[in-house]
Amino acid sequence: MRLIRNLIRTPEGAIGLGILALLVLIALLAPALSPGDPLKIAARPLLPPFTDVNFPLGTDRLGRDVLAGIIHGTRTSLAVGIAAALAAIAIGLCVGLAAGFAGGLVDEALMRVVDAFQIVPSFLLALAFVSVIGASVPVVVLAIALGAWADPARLTRAQVLSIRERDYIASARVIGMHPVEIAFKEILPNALPPVLALSAIIVAAAILTEAALSFLGLGDPNVVTWGSMIAEGRNILRSSPSLSIFPGIALVVTVVGVYLFSEGLTNALAGRRSEA
Amino acid sequence: MTIADLSRRTLLQAGAALLASTALPTFARAQNAPSGGRLIVAADSEPKNLNPAIVASNGVFFVASKVVEPLAEASFEGKDGLSPRLATSWEGSADGKSVTFKLREGVKWHDGKPFTSADVAFSALSIWKPLQNLGRLVFANLEAVDTPDETTAVFRFSKPTPLQLIRNALPVVSSVVPKHVYEGTDIGANPANVKLVGTGPFKFTEYKPGEYYRLTRNEDYWAEGEPKLDEVIFRVLPDRAGAGAALEAEEIQLAAFSAVPLTDLDRISKVPGIKVISKGYEALTYQLVVEINHRRKELADLKVRQAIAHAIDRKFVVDTIFLGYAAASTGPVPKNAPEFYDADVPTYDFDIAKANALLDEAGYKKGANGTRFSLKLRPAPYFNETKQFGDYLRQALAAVGIDAQLVNADSAAHQKAVYTDHDFDLAVAPPVFRGDPAISTTILVKSGTPAGVPFSNQGGYANKELDDIIAKAAETVDTAARTDLYRQFQKLVAADLPLINVAEWGFITVARDTVLNVSNNPRWAVSNWADTALQS
Repeated sequence: MRLIRNLIRTPEGAIGLGILALLVLIALLAPALSPGDPLKIAARPLLPPFTDVNFPLGTDRLGRDVLAGIIHGTRTSLAVGIAAALAAIAIGLCVGLAAGFAGGLVDEALMRVVDAFQIVPSFLLALAFVSVIGASVPVVVLAIALGAWADPARLTRAQVLSIRERDYIASARVIGMHPVEIAFKEILPNALPPVLALSAIIVAAAILTEAALSFLGLGDPNVVTWGSMIAEGRNILRSSPSLSIFPGIALVVTVVGVYLFSEGLTNALAGRRSEA
Repeated sequence: MTIADLSRRTLLQAGAALLASTALPTFARAQNAPSGGRLIVAADSEPKNLNPAIVASNGVFFVASKVVEPLAEASFEGKDGLSPRLATSWEGSADGKSVTFKLREGVKWHDGKPFTSADVAFSALSIWKPLQNLGRLVFANLEAVDTPDETTAVFRFSKPTPLQLIRNALPVVSSVVPKHVYEGTDIGANPANVKLVGTGPFKFTEYKPGEYYRLTRNEDYWAEGEPKLDEVIFRVLPDRAGAGAALEAEEIQLAAFSAVPLTDLDRISKVPGIKVISKGYEALTYQLVVEINHRRKELADLKVRQAIAHAIDRKFVVDTIFLGYAAASTGPVPKNAPEFYDADVPTYDFDIAKANALLDEAGYKKGANGTRFSLKLRPAPYFNETKQFGDYLRQALAAVGIDAQLVNADSAAHQKAVYTDHDFDLAVAPPVFRGDPAISTTILVKSGTPAGVPFSNQGGYANKELDDIIAKAAETVDTAARTDLYRQFQKLVAADLPLINVAEWGFITVARDTVLNVSNNPRWAVSNWADTALQS
C-alpha cells in the first residue's frame, strides 16, 4: 500500500499508472466495448475517420472497423507483453537465483548460457523462433521471453551474490535452514525489487517486439494486433495514413505508459529503501 | 562504372540522337520512335539462375527475355497470336508427330558466332526437354530434332503432340541458347546462366547483386533499326512501396508486374507525367484459386464445396481487394484465353442463404456457438492480394458458420505445407494460366501427381472422367476436337469443384510518359523490348 502511495506521489508514476489502468480496463471490457469479431467486414472499405458515428476511426481496406481493431488489439498487446515479461522474469529469477546461490561450476555454466542469449539480438531470436515453429500467440510469447530472460537473470544473480554474504543469511544457515528454503524465503524477497523495476521495461520491449513481429507478418493472423494493423496500413500510407497512425498512437501511448510506470516504480522503491 | 558516370554519357548520346532524329525525314511509325537513351526499370527479384531456357518463369523472363529470344513471341495481331522471332514459320504434320520450323537467317549470337538450327536442336534436346520446368511437359515425347540445313529444324515426337499446344507454348518454352557455350559443360552450373549469351536486342553487360542488371544495345541485332534504346537498367527495388516514389522522383521510368501497389495506382495516375497501363499482360493471366484438401471428410462432400463457392462474394473480391483491376472467374480457363474459354458452365452466385441451406443439407448443422466445423486456411504469401483474400475468406466462411483458422507462412514453408505435407484444408493459390490448359490449369486438378510438386493437385482429388478428358486432349492433334475437350473440362471442373476459381487478374505497368511503345504485346513485360523507346 505504501508502495502505491509512493508511486502515485511521483508525477510519472501517477500518469503511468493512469494510462495502464485505462488500457487494462479497455482490454478487459473489449467484448463489451466492441462486441463481435473485430476482424469482421463491417462497412464500406476505406471509410475515412471521423465521418461515421458507427465507425469513428473509419475502416480499413477490407472494411473492418479500425476502432474495434484498436480496442481488441489492446488485449493482444497487453496479454502478450505481460505474459512474455512474466515468463522472462520467472526464468530469469530462477536461473539468477540458482547461479548466484550455488556459485562455482553451476554459476559458471549458467552464466555462459546467459551470455549466449545476450549476444544474440533478441528480435532476431524471436524472428527465427516464430518462423520455424509457426505463428500463434503462445509461440510469440515464448519467442519474446527467450530473448528477454537474460537481463533479469544477471540482475538477480548480482543481487543474490551480495545478499548471500549478509549476516542474516549466515545465521539462517547456522540454525539449519534448508538451502532451498534460504534461497526462496530469505534471498529472493530481498533480491526482487530491482528486478521488478526492470520488469516494466521488459513489458514495454515485449509489446514492441510483438508489434514488430506482426508487422513482418509473423504474428497470429487470427487475432487483431496493432503491428499487423500498421503493416496493412503501410501499403496505403500515402492515401490513407490514418490506418497506420491510429494503431501507431495506441502503441506509443502504451509503451510510454509502461515506461512512466516503471520510472515511478523505481523511484517509489528507492524511496522505500531510503526510508527503511 | 557508377550510375552517375553512365548518366552523363547517356545524356550526351541521347542529345546526339535527338539531333539526328530531328534532322532526318519521317519514317514509318515504329521506326519513328526516337533512338537512344537509357531506360531504368524497377526489378523486385534477383533469380539465382537467369537462364530462361532452364527456368521458364516470369521473374527470369523479365530480365532475360531482352537477351535470349524465343522462336516466336505472343502478339495481338499476328497469326495464331504469334509474331516470329528466331523462327519465321512453323508447320505441323497431319499425324502430329513432327513440327518443322524455318529459322531466321543472318542472326548472330552476342559473341559473334552465327545462330543455326544446331543451336535449336541442342536447346530442345539438352535443355528444354530434360531441364526446363515447362519444357518437360510440352516436349515430353520429343525424340529427335533433325537439322537438314542451317535454317531448318524438324522436331520429331514419339507420340502425337498437338501443334496447338506447341504454338501456345512457344513464347514461354522456346528460349534458344548457344550450343557452343553450353555443349559438354554442366548445363545447370554454366556461368552463362547468369552472364547470358543470346541473340536478343540487348547484351548482358553487368550484374551487381542487390543493385542492378545492366543490358546494353546489340549493334548486330537482326531487326533493322532496333533496338531503340542504348541501355536497359533493372534496378533492384525489393520494397514495393518504394517503386511508386522512385517513379515520381524520376529515379526509374518504368515499374512492371504491379511493382506499384494497386492501392497506390489511383493516386499515382493523377501525377503528371506518369501513365498507368493495365494492357500487356493478357498472356500472363493469374488466377485466384481456393485449393481444397479433399482428404477432409467435410470438404469431400460436393455440397460443402458448393456452399463455399456460394459464400464468396466475387464482386467484393474484384472491387475491394483488386480495386477493379481483375475479373470474376467462372471456371478454370480465364476469359483472356478466348480460344478455350467457355462461359457456359455452372456458376455460383454470392448467396449466403443458399450456402447455409447446402451446409445444413450436407448434415453439418450449426453448433451452439454458431459454427459448423473448423478448417485450416493457408493463404499463399506471394502477393498482397492473396493474403488479403485469405483474410476475406475467413470472414466469408464465418458468415456461413465455418470457422477458418488462418495460418501464415513464408513461401518455402507454405509450399512444403501445402504441396508436400498436405497440412491444409483450404489454401489460397495464385496459379498462372500459360496460354494452354495442358501446361497450366489442368495440372491443378488431374490426379496422380506425386507429393512435393509445387502448384499441382495435392488436395487428393481424383476424378476418372476428368483425368480421361485431360489425357485425351493431350494427344488430340485436331485443333477443333482438342478445344472441344477443354470446353468439357471446364464444365466438369465448374460442376464438381475440385477447386474454386474466384478471380483472374493481370498486372499493371506504371511508366513515365516518356517511355514509348509500352504494352504492345500480350507478354510485353517479358518480351524483348526491341521497339521500346524513350522520348528525350
